[in-house]
Amino acid sequence: MVMPPFDKEFFRTDRLALEAHNLFDLVEKLDTLAPGFAAIAQPRVHFAVDGVIETDWSRVLSPAAEVIVLPRVGGG
Amino acid sequence: MSRIHVSTTVNGDAAEFLCDPAASLLDALRDSLGLTGSKEGCGSGDCGACTVVLDGEMVCSCLVFAAEAEGRAVRTIEGVAEGSVLHPVQQKFLEHAALQCGFCTPGFIVAAKALLDRNPDPTETEVRYWLAGNLCRCTGYDKIVRAVMDAGAQLRQERTPA
Amino acid sequence: MNAPVTIKQFRHVGTRPVRPDGVDKVTGKALYGPDFKAPGMLWGAILRSPHPHARIASIDTRKAEALAGVKAVATGRDFPTLQSLVMHVGEGASDIIHVARNCLAFDKVLYEGHAVAAVAATTPEIAREALSLIAVEYEELPFVLGLEEALAEGAPLLHADMFTKGVEPRPEKPSNASMRLEMGFGDVDAALANAAFTVSGRYTMEPVHQGYIEPHACVASWNADGQAQIWCSTQGHFAVRALTASVLAIPQADIRVMPLEIGGGFGGKTTVYLEPVAMILSRKSGRPVRLAMTRDEVFRASGPAPGAIIEVRIGADAQGLFKAAYVEFKYHSGAFPAIDAAAGVASAIGHYRIANTRVIGTEVLCNRPAAKAYRAPGAPQVNFAVESAIDELAGKLGIDPLELRLRNAAAQGDPQTSGVPWGRIGWIECLEAAKAHPHWSAPLGPNQGRGIAGGYWGNYGGPSTVVVSLAEDGTFTVATGSPDIGGSRAAMAIMAAEVLDVPYQQVRCIVADTASIGVSMVTGGSRTTFATGKAVVEAAQAVRRTLCERAARQWNVPAGSVEWSDGEAVCIAGEKAGTRATAGQIAARASHSGGPIAALSAINAAGWLPGFGAHICDVEVDPETGHVRIVRYTAIQDVGTAIHPDYVEGQIQGGAVQGIGWALNEAYVYGASGRLDNAGFLDYRMPVASDVPMIDTVMVEVPNPDHPYGVKGVGEVPIVPPLAAVANAIHGATGKRLRDLPMAPDRVHAALHPQG
Repeated sequence: MVMPPFDKEFFRTDRLALEAHNLFDLVEKLDTLAPGFAAIAQPRVHFAVDGVIETDWSRVLSPAAEVIVLPRVGGG
Repeated sequence: MSRIHVSTTVNGDAAEFLCDPAASLLDALRDSLGLTGSKEGCGSGDCGACTVVLDGEMVCSCLVFAAEAEGRAVRTIEGVAEGSVLHPVQQKFLEHAALQCGFCTPGFIVAAKALLDRNPDPTETEVRYWLAGNLCRCTGYDKIVRAVMDAGAQLRQERTPA
Repeated sequence: MNAPVTIKQFRHVGTRPVRPDGVDKVTGKALYGPDFKAPGMLWGAILRSPHPHARIASIDTRKAEALAGVKAVATGRDFPTLQSLVMHVGEGASDIIHVARNCLAFDKVLYEGHAVAAVAATTPEIAREALSLIAVEYEELPFVLGLEEALAEGAPLLHADMFTKGVEPRPEKPSNASMRLEMGFGDVDAALANAAFTVSGRYTMEPVHQGYIEPHACVASWNADGQAQIWCSTQGHFAVRALTASVLAIPQADIRVMPLEIGGGFGGKTTVYLEPVAMILSRKSGRPVRLAMTRDEVFRASGPAPGAIIEVRIGADAQGLFKAAYVEFKYHSGAFPAIDAAAGVASAIGHYRIANTRVIGTEVLCNRPAAKAYRAPGAPQVNFAVESAIDELAGKLGIDPLELRLRNAAAQGDPQTSGVPWGRIGWIECLEAAKAHPHWSAPLGPNQGRGIAGGYWGNYGGPSTVVVSLAEDGTFTVATGSPDIGGSRAAMAIMAAEVLDVPYQQVRCIVADTASIGVSMVTGGSRTTFATGKAVVEAAQAVRRTLCERAARQWNVPAGSVEWSDGEAVCIAGEKAGTRATAGQIAARASHSGGPIAALSAINAAGWLPGFGAHICDVEVDPETGHVRIVRYTAIQDVGTAIHPDYVEGQIQGGAVQGIGWALNEAYVYGASGRLDNAGFLDYRMPVASDVPMIDTVMVEVPNPDHPYGVKGVGEVPIVPPLAAVANAIHGATGKRLRDLPMAPDRVHAALHPQG
C-alpha cells in the first residue's frame, strides 16, 4: 500500500502487488516503476511491514507481507 | 578608535582590561577577562542570562558599558561558589534538577542569590516576580522556583543559631 | 487492564541522582556554543537581506576586502555547484541545495534576514564595519507572507522549479505549494451528513519561534590539507558534519565536529546555518573563524515553526461516538520546503477511533525564514484545532469532555490515520489518570474556567553509537554521539549502572565528537533516552559479559561458570565457587588476560512507541482587560518508564509552558513591508516565571516492551495539548471559543466585548 504523497508523486496508485525478497529489493522494483523513488527512499520513506515499522531493509519479506509506504517523520 | 583602560574588581580580585567605548560589561567579562559564565541570550536586557551584581546591585551586564566598571566591584557566576564549596542556591539547583540545557542557569543563580541575600524567606510569588527578568525556555520554571525556595530554607537554617 | 508481565525492581532506573555535568553548569564553567575561542581566531559577521524577496543583481565586496583587519569575505558564489540531493540528517528530509541556499543566498533572497554575504576580521567591530562596506544591488520582487495569498493565482513565486508533490495529475505550472498529503479512510462526506451532531471551525495561528536562549554559534578551522574542525552547539554534530560536508562537497571524515554544550534547541538546532559559511571564511583566511548570531538574527533567520490555517469538521452520533472527521490544514514552510505537514497529518486525529477520516495537509512556501522543527513539529497546530472542536462537540452533546474523549480514545490495535495499527500506547491510561486526579473535580472561582485536551507524538528511534569502556581501576566511561540538552548523560549513566549493577558514580557519561564515536542521529524526535539508551544497554551488557569471561580466565575456570551478580563477577560452580571479583579487580589484570575491556554498540533502534498526554488547565480571565492567567495546570503523560524522573518531569513542565506561551502570547508579527516587527524577547513575549504556576505532572508508566527498561520518548508530547487545553479553559471561563492564536488580551477582550 502506498501512502501519500508517494502514491500521487510516484506511482499513480495506492496499491501495488510486487514480489520482493526484502525492502531493498522492493525499493529497486518500485524505482523501476517510478524512476527517482530509490533516490529519495532512505531520507523520506518509512516502511511498515504487517503493521510494524521495519528499519532493517535487508530482512527477508514473507510472500504475503503487507507493506505500507509511509512518509518518514523524525521530530524536533 | 582609541580604547579605554578600565581598572575594576571582579569576584574580589583586581582586574584590568582595554575596551572599545561601545563595548558592554558582558563583552569585557567574556572576551577580555575570559569569564564566559555570564551568557548573552539577547543583548537587550530581556533574558537575564548575563545577570551580574555591580556594587551590590543586580544588573544585566549587556546593558552596562564596560567602561562603567571602572573602580567598581563586579560579582559574576564564577564568584558565587566559595572555592570548591557550592552556594546553597547552586546545590539546590542540582538537587532539584532545576536546569536542563543550563544556559540560563548562571543568570538565574546570580539573581536568586541576590534575592536571598535581601530576603531569605521569599514567598513563591516573590520568587516568581524577582526572577521574571530571567528567561528559561526548558524548565517551565517549576523546579527553579522550588530550588530557590529550598535554598532559602537552607540558608535560614544555617543562619539560625543552634 | 493488563497486569504487568514482570515486576522488576530496579536499583538505579527511576532514581534521581545529580547529573554529571551539573556542577560545571551551576558554576559557569560549562562551554556553550558562543563560549569557545580558538587561538588566532577571527570574528565573523553576516550581511542579511533587508528585503523579503529580491533578485541579487550584484554584490561588490571590494571595499570590505580593502578594510584593514578584514581577512576574508564570502558570498553564495563561494559554494561549489551542487547536484540536488535529498538527505535525512536532522528533523526530516532536505535537499542539500536548499540547505546551501539558506546558508548564503545565491541569486535571490527569499526573506528578510536571508544571509547574503559574510566577512571575517580581526575584531568584531571591524567585521561589522566591513559589512557596511559591502554593496548589494537588489531588484526587489513582490513578496507573499500569507498562506492563502501564497496559494492564490498570480501569487509571487519563490521557486520557479517548484511543482507540488503529491497531487495528480502532476502540475504543469510551478506553485508555492511544495507538497500536499492526503490520508484517511471511509466515506467522510456521507458520514458527516448522517451524523447527529457536527461541529466545524477554522483555526489560525502565526509562526512561533523555538526560543532557545543560546543563539547559534560556531568556530570553524579549515586547513590547507582539507581537514577541518568545527566547534559548535547543535542537537546533532553528525548532522552538522554531513550537511557541512555535503554543502561544501568535501569528505565527511575530513571534518571533525566537536560538540559544545548546547543551550536549548527544541528542534531548531538540527540543521546548519553558520557552519558552512564559517568554513569558507576559514579556508579563505587560513585562520579559525567564529560566527555567531545575535538574538535579532535568530528571530529573523532561524526557525520558526510554521503558522497554520486549519479547517476541522467532526461528526458524532447521539451517544457521542465519533463517526467522521475531516481536517484540512495549510502550514507555512517559509523560504524552502519544510517537513511539518507529514507529521501534522499523522498527528491530527489518530488518537480517536473514527471509521471515516480524512486529513489533508499542504506545505506552503512564502517569504518568511525557512521553517524548522519545533518540538513535535507539525503536531501542536493541528491538535489545537481538533481538540478545540472536540471540546465544542462535547458541549453540543452535553457530555463531559473527558468522558467524550474516553469514549472515543484509540487503543492498541486500532488503526492510525495511515492505517498502521497502534502499538502499546497509554492514551486511555492518561485519560483515566486525568479523571482520577483531584484537579479535574476541584472547584473553580469566579471568572475561572477549566479545559482539557489530549495529544500525542509518534517519537522515533534511529541510529546511535555508544562505547562503554572500563578504566584501569574498574570505573566506566559511556561515550555517546548524542548531544545532551536536558540531562541525558545522567539517564545514560543510570542505564549503564543498572546493567552493570554498580554505583551511579562509578559510571561517567560523555558526548564524544564525530571522530571519536560512530554515527548518531540528532538528539531530537524524543529519541535519545530510547535509542541511545538501547545502545548503552547493549554495550554495557557486552562489557558485563567480557568481565565475566575475563574473571573466568583469571581464575582458570570455564567461562560458563562465572556470572555477574551485585556488581561483581561470581564463580558459581566448581572448586572456586563463591569466589568474587569486582570490576576494579578484573580491570587491574585485564591487560594480561586479553587486553583492555570496551564494547561498542552501533544500532538503528527500532521498536519506538508514541507518547500520549492529557493536560488539564484552569484559567482566570480578567473581563476588563482580557488578560488570561493560568491558575492551575496538570500535565499527565504516558512516559513508558521514567529513567530519571526529575528530567522527565522537567520535559513535561517545559513543554507545557512552551505550549502556554504559544497559546497566549507568542507570534511572529510582520509589517506591511514584509519585515519582522518583533525580532526580540521584549516584543516576542515568551512566558516568564511570574506568568505561570507550578506545573503538576503525573507520569503514567505503560512500559514499552521493545526497550530493555520500557522507555518511551517524552520530550515532544507535552507541547501538543496545551494550546487547546488553554483555549478550552478560556471557553469554560467566558463561553467564548477563540480559534485564532495567540489568545492575547486584545483578542480575548474583543471576544468579550464585541462592541469594543
